Amino acid sequence: MSTTPRPDSAALTPRNVSALLQDTTPWLSCDECFERMDSYAEALVHDPTYRDEAMAAHLRGCAACDEEAESLMRLLDGR
Amino acid sequence: MTAVSRDEQRSNTSVSSPPSDAPGPMDWVEALTGGGPEQSAALRELHTLMLRAAAHQVWRMRPALPDPSPSAVDVIVNQAADEAMTALLAKLHTFEGRSRFTTWAFKFAILQAATEVRRLQWQHREVELRDLDVPSAPRHEDPELYAEGNDLAAAVAAAMRGVLTPYQRRIAIALLVDGIPIDVLADRLGTNRGALYKTLHDLRVRLRAELTANGYLPVHPANPPDPAPSDARSRISPTPTAGTP
Repeated sequence: MSTTPRPDSAALTPRNVSALLQDTTPWLSCDECFERMDSYAEALVHDPTYRDEAMAAHLRGCAACDEEAESLMRLLDGR
Repeated sequence: MTAVSRDEQRSNTSVSSPPSDAPGPMDWVEALTGGGPEQSAALRELHTLMLRAAAHQVWRMRPALPDPSPSAVDVIVNQAADEAMTALLAKLHTFEGRSRFTTWAFKFAILQAATEVRRLQWQHREVELRDLDVPSAPRHEDPELYAEGNDLAAAVAAAMRGVLTPYQRRIAIALLVDGIPIDVLADRLGTNRGALYKTLHDLRVRLRAELTANGYLPVHPANPPDPAPSDARSRISPTPTAGTP
């Protein structure tokens, strides 16, 4: 007999499902994200249309890095 | 002219050109490593910068603190600034001038302050690594939308059972369902943020492949999946309660 509880199919909220299925490719590690965060934040504050797909994918998938990048941009932007 | 004012001047003059084109971003490094009175002055200025960024971050996350009083915030800010400054000085040789030095410095203080707030937020809370025994979601008011979402949720749950290891399932539930901050979980498990994020990335790749094979996701999605109801369509962070206001 398995000790693993059976999943409740109604248990995952739409938000959970969205987070679980988030596309985090192209791969970027948290360390690489931190290395690039300063130049990324400056570029984005300077030009809101600036794109870095790997950074964007990582920030969609990592709430902690996302919070820190957002905070840095707000600090640079004086908000 | 001090290192800070030189950097601020670059900031002011970089409005019409890309930040990476700003001249002379290595002045801070010279000042911080040169010795003498200029080094002492640069260290003081750097600490002021770290305090500013740490305060910015702690105040952003202040509602998450067990004690959000100004005096408690002040203690956290000072501690984070000190620790961030130590971390920065250990990495000073890696500064390549791709951004202004002040921006590069700010990120150390922000990281340290955010990590400390999340640690304090969870310091008296147990972190449980559980499997898929998550509580039931509230039913959506629109039965059709609810049925669609429930179908996808069931498919995701089945995929989690079928293609993820027990460890991957537990990490996914902890981070993405229970909202445990990644650095808090890493600390409790004796690992680090990067290792947990790699686990998260790998399990997402597996889930997406399985859901794509079963026809729930397009083969070549132009955009990340967003199965949330239209009224909730916005940029969704995976750990929405992970210590952010």
